[in-house]
Amino acid sequence: MKLSRKKKKEQTTEYIAVSSTNNKYKIKNPFSEDIMINHKKSDIKIFDDENGFTYILFKKKKYLAEIVEKSQNKYTVLINGVSYTFTIETPISYKRKKYLEKNQQRSKTEMVEAPMPGKIVDVLMEEGAKVKEGEALLILEAMKMQNEISSTVSGTIKKVFAKIGDVVNKEDVLIEIERD
Amino acid sequence: MKIKSLLIANRGEIAIRICRTAKDMGIKTFGIKTAKEPKAHYLSFVDEIIDFCDEGDDVPEFLDVERIVQTAKGHNIDAIHPGYGFLAESPYFAQRCEEEGINFIGPSPEAIYKMGNKTIAKGIAKKYKVPLLQGSLGNLMGPQEAKQIASKIGYPVILKAAAGGGGRGMRIVEKATQIEKMYKLASTEALKAFNDASVFVEKYVRNPRHIEFQIIGDKHGNYVHLGERECSVQRKHQKLLEESPSPALDDKLRKEMGDAAIRIAEGTKYFSAGTVEFLLDDDKKFYFMEMNTRIQVEHPVTEMVTGVDLIELMIRIAEGEKLPFTQKDIVQNGWAIECRINAEDAQSSFAPYLGVVDKIQYPRSKNIRIDSGITDSSVVTPYFDSMLAKLIVHGETREKAISNCLNALNKFWVKGIKTSIPFCKAVLNNKKFRNGDFNTSFIEKEMDELFYQGEYDEMLAAYLATFDFAAGLETERTTHIDFEQGKNISPWILNKRLRSL
Repeated sequence: MKLSRKKKKEQTTEYIAVSSTNNKYKIKNPFSEDIMINHKKSDIKIFDDENGFTYILFKKKKYLAEIVEKSQNKYTVLINGVSYTFTIETPISYKRKKYLEKNQQRSKTEMVEAPMPGKIVDVLMEEGAKVKEGEALLILEAMKMQNEISSTVSGTIKKVFAKIGDVVNKEDVLIEIERD
Repeated sequence: MKIKSLLIANRGEIAIRICRTAKDMGIKTFGIKTAKEPKAHYLSFVDEIIDFCDEGDDVPEFLDVERIVQTAKGHNIDAIHPGYGFLAESPYFAQRCEEEGINFIGPSPEAIYKMGNKTIAKGIAKKYKVPLLQGSLGNLMGPQEAKQIASKIGYPVILKAAAGGGGRGMRIVEKATQIEKMYKLASTEALKAFNDASVFVEKYVRNPRHIEFQIIGDKHGNYVHLGERECSVQRKHQKLLEESPSPALDDKLRKEMGDAAIRIAEGTKYFSAGTVEFLLDDDKKFYFMEMNTRIQVEHPVTEMVTGVDLIELMIRIAEGEKLPFTQKDIVQNGWAIECRINAEDAQSSFAPYLGVVDKIQYPRSKNIRIDSGITDSSVVTPYFDSMLAKLIVHGETREKAISNCLNALNKFWVKGIKTSIPFCKAVLNNKKFRNGDFNTSFIEKEMDELFYQGEYDEMLAAYLATFDFAAGLETERTTHIDFEQGKNISPWILNKRLRSL
């Protein structure tokens, strides 16, 4: 069943899609027959099949598509099982975003998060300790494997949130490091 | 004695795999239902379900020797197949089955014990003149002894759990200063995983190939090997993609290694299916690593090229039958590749991806075999390993097998969770892999991207803009919460509903 090609409204709409690698695409007239990407007509077609899959037909190839997360205008989507993150801006919100980025300062602290759900089996650093990039901070056991979580920055341990025996979820903050 | 009923002491795809053959042989199958996945897919394949959902002991269901043995006895079940993992390589479990008059479908408890203990296994290999790596002859007394031996044989060395398997309890040590820390990591991991902290040390071969031989023996002293499997595509010693035959072997080396594998089996008076694992170095010298005394995850590639049914053979051998063929009957026909479809996120260092498999759709063709443990709405829980299914693809040549496999992966659709499919595609598209030029450091050294990605940023941007537009229309009228489902609803569905209003 073809889903997206019917004209919903006669108005022209414009969006700016910004990928996580900071590529920008101007999209005109989404959800219509004459979708334009960076001022070029595109041959993207979107389908919902009878089995409950959504796929995109693009340059004669099929791509399985699935939105896995949406928070405000930020989307994470799986295309053939690979995730991509985009923000979808209107021309106005895009200007605002640019302005904010200019004024934003690099955060001085680094939050070390659990890369996967699991159990903390060892904490190797104490508060106040100096760490180098790549140095092991703690051991997280997940799916019966012991995983070393190492520091991505050099600095000083400001706070240790994780204790031995803690069961943590993905993205739980385990350690806070103040950058050198 | 003929086996008329069979308890499958396992779950997931292997339980279904065993069921399939048992059914063909007219054997009644029993499955175990656990509270961790009471609606598991495998339960719809067994003839009878035994409920382990109620409060049991502290021991996990599939590791509870007494409960499983007593259940089999109570239901008058003739035999137990342990699959892989769990109790498959527990000599105690095999022993208890024997004591209670249950036919354990696997080797003897003695063989499991000897091969399960890597130091004993190495002794057997030595006795039967199978090449071995230098290292400690027995288990280490502590990190100091490890240090001593390491300085004698030279770094790098590898510390391995004596009771190990599946990559757990292993640590590579590059220099003397690391050895204490690594020793501790390896032995605690070993203790956790196998309830045995003993560790041994051996010379670490940099970038070897991992090649294993499928052997099969009966209770009458007949042994045959069914050729090799190439399992060098590994991450943290976990196999991810296997093939048979191996592009690294010629007929001469195949015969040498196959003969060595059979000598090990003979030396242990081994019967049933087993796998002898070797390391193969750059100079094409091979070394005995270990023997797995069970059916392997990757057994289908062997089945596909040789045409034998290993589960059937295991059952027949357990019944006392003789092997129906000799070595010269075994021919490797074409090439087979297996992709493990794991619930893992290659984009975030292969972290387990838990959740619900909304929809799954398999590729279909006569050269494709799917061994899957899941179906629509299956739940991926943290309780079990992350492998969901296996895609096995055949081709007349390696080249054809690779392209057939890529085609199949493109038609293997999963919705709801992330899987290792993009990773498998990246491997199959890699030039070095395609040339057959790879070893166990392949993922680390040769793969710039761990997942296959097309050039379709543009397409995506358009898709999402379309999406946002649709969602925008939506917010004007209603909320995004679907109370029927209790979760965020896809704006596509919303749109559909809107249009029908």
